[in-house]
Amino acid sequence: MKDGYDVIIIGGGITGAGTARDCAMRGLKVLLIERNDIATGATGRNHGLLHSGARYAVTDRESAAECISENLILKRIARNCVEDTSGLFISLPEDDLGYQATFVEACKAAGIDARIIDPKEALAMEPSVNPSLTGAVVVPDGSVDPFRLCLANVIDAKARGADVLVYHEVVEVLRENGRVIGVRVLDKVHGDVKEYYGSVTVNAGGIWGHHIASLAGVNVGMFPAKGALLIFAHRVAKLVLNRCRKPANADILVPGDTVSIIGTTSTRIPYEECDDVRVTPDEVDLLLREGSLLSPSLSSTRILRAYAGVRPLVASGDDPSGRSISRGIVCIDHEQRDGLKDFITITGGKLMTYRLMAEQAADAVCARLGVSAKCTTAQTPLPGSEIGGLEETARKIWAVPTTVQKAAVGRAGSRASQIGLNSDEGQGIICECEEVSCGEIASAVDNLDVRTLTDLRRRTRFGMGTCQGELCGYRAAGVLAKKTGDAPAARRDLCDFMNERWKGMFPIAWGETLREAAFTQWVSKEVLGLEEDGI
Amino acid sequence: MRYDVVIIGGGLSALVCGTRLQRSGKSVLLVSSGQNAMHFSSGSFGFLGRLPDGSAPDDLIDSVINLPEVHPYRKIGPERLRTYAGQTIGFFESAGILLHGDPTHNSYRMTASGICKPAWLAMEDVSLFAPGETPSGGKALVVTLKGFTDFNVPFISSAFTKMGYACRCVEVEMEEIARLRKNPTEMRSVNIARVLEGQQALDRFISGVRGKLKDEDTVVLPQVFGLKDTSPLAAIRSRLPAHVHFVGTMIPSVPGIRSQMCLKSAFQAAGGTFLPGDTAVRAGFDSTGRVSSVYTANLGNTPLEAGEFILASGGLWGKGLEASYDSVKEPLFSLDVDSPRERKEWYDSDFFRRQAFTGFGVVTDESLRALKGGKTVSNLRVIGAECGGANPLEEGSGAGIAIMSAFMAADSILGRI
Amino acid sequence: MIHNEHIRSSNFEECIKCTICTEFCPVIEVNPLFPGPKQAGPDGERFRLKNSFFFDENLKYCMNCKRCETACPSGVKIADIIHSARMDYGTVTPHLRERILAGTDMMGTLARPFAPVVNAVAGSKAGKFMMDKVLRIDRRRSFPKYAAHGFNRWFRKEKAALQDRFASQVAFFHGCSTEFQHPEVGKAFVEVMNAIGVGVRLMDEKCCGVAMISNAMWPEARKNAVHNLAEFRKTGLPIVTASSTCTLTLRDEYPNILGLRNDDLRDNIVIVEKFLYDMVDEGKVKLVFRQDYKAKAAYHIPCHMEKLGWSIFTRRLLEMIPGLDLTVLESGCCGIAGTYGFKKENYSYAQAIGQPLFDAIRAEDPGFVVSECETCKWQIEMSTGYKVLNPIVLLSEALDLEKTRMANEK
Repeated sequence: MKDGYDVIIIGGGITGAGTARDCAMRGLKVLLIERNDIATGATGRNHGLLHSGARYAVTDRESAAECISENLILKRIARNCVEDTSGLFISLPEDDLGYQATFVEACKAAGIDARIIDPKEALAMEPSVNPSLTGAVVVPDGSVDPFRLCLANVIDAKARGADVLVYHEVVEVLRENGRVIGVRVLDKVHGDVKEYYGSVTVNAGGIWGHHIASLAGVNVGMFPAKGALLIFAHRVAKLVLNRCRKPANADILVPGDTVSIIGTTSTRIPYEECDDVRVTPDEVDLLLREGSLLSPSLSSTRILRAYAGVRPLVASGDDPSGRSISRGIVCIDHEQRDGLKDFITITGGKLMTYRLMAEQAADAVCARLGVSAKCTTAQTPLPGSEIGGLEETARKIWAVPTTVQKAAVGRAGSRASQIGLNSDEGQGIICECEEVSCGEIASAVDNLDVRTLTDLRRRTRFGMGTCQGELCGYRAAGVLAKKTGDAPAARRDLCDFMNERWKGMFPIAWGETLREAAFTQWVSKEVLGLEEDGI
Repeated sequence: MRYDVVIIGGGLSALVCGTRLQRSGKSVLLVSSGQNAMHFSSGSFGFLGRLPDGSAPDDLIDSVINLPEVHPYRKIGPERLRTYAGQTIGFFESAGILLHGDPTHNSYRMTASGICKPAWLAMEDVSLFAPGETPSGGKALVVTLKGFTDFNVPFISSAFTKMGYACRCVEVEMEEIARLRKNPTEMRSVNIARVLEGQQALDRFISGVRGKLKDEDTVVLPQVFGLKDTSPLAAIRSRLPAHVHFVGTMIPSVPGIRSQMCLKSAFQAAGGTFLPGDTAVRAGFDSTGRVSSVYTANLGNTPLEAGEFILASGGLWGKGLEASYDSVKEPLFSLDVDSPRERKEWYDSDFFRRQAFTGFGVVTDESLRALKGGKTVSNLRVIGAECGGANPLEEGSGAGIAIMSAFMAADSILGRI
Repeated sequence: MIHNEHIRSSNFEECIKCTICTEFCPVIEVNPLFPGPKQAGPDGERFRLKNSFFFDENLKYCMNCKRCETACPSGVKIADIIHSARMDYGTVTPHLRERILAGTDMMGTLARPFAPVVNAVAGSKAGKFMMDKVLRIDRRRSFPKYAAHGFNRWFRKEKAALQDRFASQVAFFHGCSTEFQHPEVGKAFVEVMNAIGVGVRLMDEKCCGVAMISNAMWPEARKNAVHNLAEFRKTGLPIVTASSTCTLTLRDEYPNILGLRNDDLRDNIVIVEKFLYDMVDEGKVKLVFRQDYKAKAAYHIPCHMEKLGWSIFTRRLLEMIPGLDLTVLESGCCGIAGTYGFKKENYSYAQAIGQPLFDAIRAEDPGFVVSECETCKWQIEMSTGYKVLNPIVLLSEALDLEKTRMANEK
């Protein structure tokens, strides 16, 4: 193929990023194309649960087995992106305690270490759990930071020679003689249209893979199921809390980074709504009601945001909720199914099994290219996850003031020494809630394909804390404006950023959140005058 | 413990009202539950930034007729508003705060993001620009301190460029300021202002700026000078051979803090009693429905008794209102609150459009007396952001309402109305 | 009901990130190692809940003056959060120095029999040198002198038997400094109380524990607190104090830091100035002042009095004294914060923090300074040379005790 790539991967979610890394590790020349920013789809809009597989043990053993195997791999290769919190499946008085035995047996069959413990022991392990629990099972659940995980894959892919294009939308899949030979993309920032050629093209578009497939003239039926979640402002529980019953609404509470996340709901939505999902007041009520059953303290904990994602389930049957559809991986070589050569769709699956999905997709790519290199992603740590624990990494940047040092190590892991903390200026703090330094912000803008403040948030967690960008948005906009030299654009971006933060706040705007919002309104409108744009 | 007047609140409206009363011979106590919005005030006051239709008002007092009838300005009335607006500069001067601006017309101030926003009166470290001021064609040196992220130089310089200046941006590096960075929370306007209170540090800063000046006729500086008084401003103005503009920073606001301290001192100098860091937690009513006493968290079972009470507790932000999942309440006296019943009407999904919640307040009668269960509480007046019927943020009227309603409440207690 | 419960009052989540607290922190102004109240308190708390790795030992630089809490518009108990974090996550165990500084009652008991010797040694160059080198207690610091005879002994000998004749009684929590260093405070307390017709009882009190709290001796602090609360409940009398720091500890630190509920006692624990003012205000008591009393005094409001919110009572009470020319100094920390300023690593910070106050006192040039806190007294006396009186001592001097007694006799 004329001076093109070995493989073009469409979709900068975790599946695409993982596939790009895997292919790059096998020596292929890779192009990753994302129409927005990395991790903007389902990747960044879920629980961040590092499944042990227990949740699927009863209903979907294959998925459960995949989960536990990947769980153990991620704890090894992505230690900086996951946390081994362990998890509880609790039974409440209204639950059938008989389900516990079925559950534990199914876990064992799938290879998941599930241990029944006394409710008292469960309360001692996790004081925030509903004290009226009647049973508890410990499983190796944990939490995963999907932004960090996706980013680590992208960083590694780039380090191994992959090219990454963000804000580039595929507008046409180029075909020639029954083969896919490349893509035509629209550069959404500059408005240009360009063509890129690749020997194989991978559709890793998640729920939007349906559309990409249709551009290639083939059909991948997706089942868009919306899931709504709430973020609480701090860690309410140390462990992941689940209900020990058939999977239902709002029955998982995950401690992730500095927050807790309760979810989800599951509602089928039309495909057209996938780009703009909103959380309804009813969903908020349901999440709070059910969540408080897992941990009663949720009812008196400040809520930070409400958000929703769309699960990229592959359609099968006619289950209206989407819960009984397999979360299994679907890897389609379209030559076999549709007679279209050099086009592969990787979909289904979940965040947890992204590496396995990537492995399968990369295997399929290699098979088409006749490359024999084997997958090594299960053995090779991701950037930031290479060595030691927090303490050891912290010692490497001992001269940095403690607050910045510890927060940076917590986020960047072993990369903490490479993110511009050595200068005095780099040590200043931009985001006080999440303790993100100037150095981290500047380094992300320079190296991590950041176009907007919202991209910057996904890279660094800036603006994700209690104040939701109230103070740090302005500061970060200054850094961005300095780099780009375009102050009016940076100011418009700041307005977009504030609106993006508000989108998650208004559904839960009461109590301290509303008070915070009143303050944020004051700062943005009265102090900064942002609404008067253009005068 | 008995006073003539007990005021719940310690912000702008409470201090203005309390000082006016105390100076007129009343004994006044302020219960201040922590610091307040003045710390974020940007050093300028708004009276009416825009009309409900979005247009810019001309004569501010004449424009008030365009506001809804329930608006506090309508209750105060144009005649009194004109008198009070005329008295404002003098009042603040008597508290050691020099204001400039036209009491009946708006000028513009530049915000920390380089946007010109209508302003009524401003402190001396806030430059005011006339509407439609013609480009100067001058040269401006935009100065910041190295590592200071709360003064967004690209935004400010682009605004001055738009006004016709040729801008050059420089950073002044100072050892004393660099030391602050060892502390993650220290590079804020107020921390820098503390350092620059020292004469030596200020001298070094001024010579730093002088050293960077080439042929610029204008110097633009962040508002990080003069936490206690304005002498650093005067020193800078007299010693820099250029016209100096001070532009706002991200909060906290140095001039805002100074204005709060000056007003508090004026109140105390007049003999007023200020209870810092205390919260009014419950109130007693007599058989006629008048407020008889207020109890606070710190004073415990010692009641605060008075003939007149004033509620200046700052609305939602000041905890003068509390929004729960399904309702908005005034927590101390259980007064009637002006807010939509349905939560979805509290907000707009666009952050920058008008938000109903920034206008929540207590319902009052014609003379700003609170309503409780539809009935007037005859010795309880509501002033400032706690007062319903307005949306100060939307209107750009926060400080104006605070000052005007404070004057009105004081005058009505003094029997002047 | 969904999410209608109010977030509990100590909750760090009420912080809306306004940054006001950092403006009022006297420590960050002088010590850049301290991360500041917002970071050390509510911001850091979210990280600590995630992983104890994020605990920062520099939280020890917080001197618990509570000015951040007084300034906070959201009612966040910032200093309590910081000290609870030190309690929950701190790994540094208290050394001999901390035990000596915090063991106010034990050290006092040991030192008293040898008071002249101890005072001489602690005041001598050699003694200071040794303490500086061995214990890292700063040599520039003057040590409060131990009194040879304690307040308790005086009370038992001179006054105890006389208390039964009063119909109304209070329990006096005198605190360690009254017992060991300043028995004159206790004597003044008893004289004034008796003059207004109120009898005084002593309890089996232990040190309130404030120094233990700041020196990370949590189990010891808790033990004392449990003991004291039991004593308070046993007497059933109003608990009246003379030291602002003891009072704040009994009223607020017991529940907020040590987690011991005292709601039933909260309104019953009062500093003597509030007790007296309330009695006068309610018309239950008359105070008759000496006509020949003349003095010029400057009132320094200790941080903990500011936090208690009760300086208004002292002020109003002192304003009743006809011959007293009283100035209220602008509220600011003196820098010592109990045992904080004794430590070598804090000495220079403590003096820098107190400098504006020292300057203000010198500018005012009063006859003496009035303050309810004994450590403020030590700091101000050492740093300015001005004498500092507890308000109750001033009152006992300004009152015509005999006429007051007669005025209050039924």
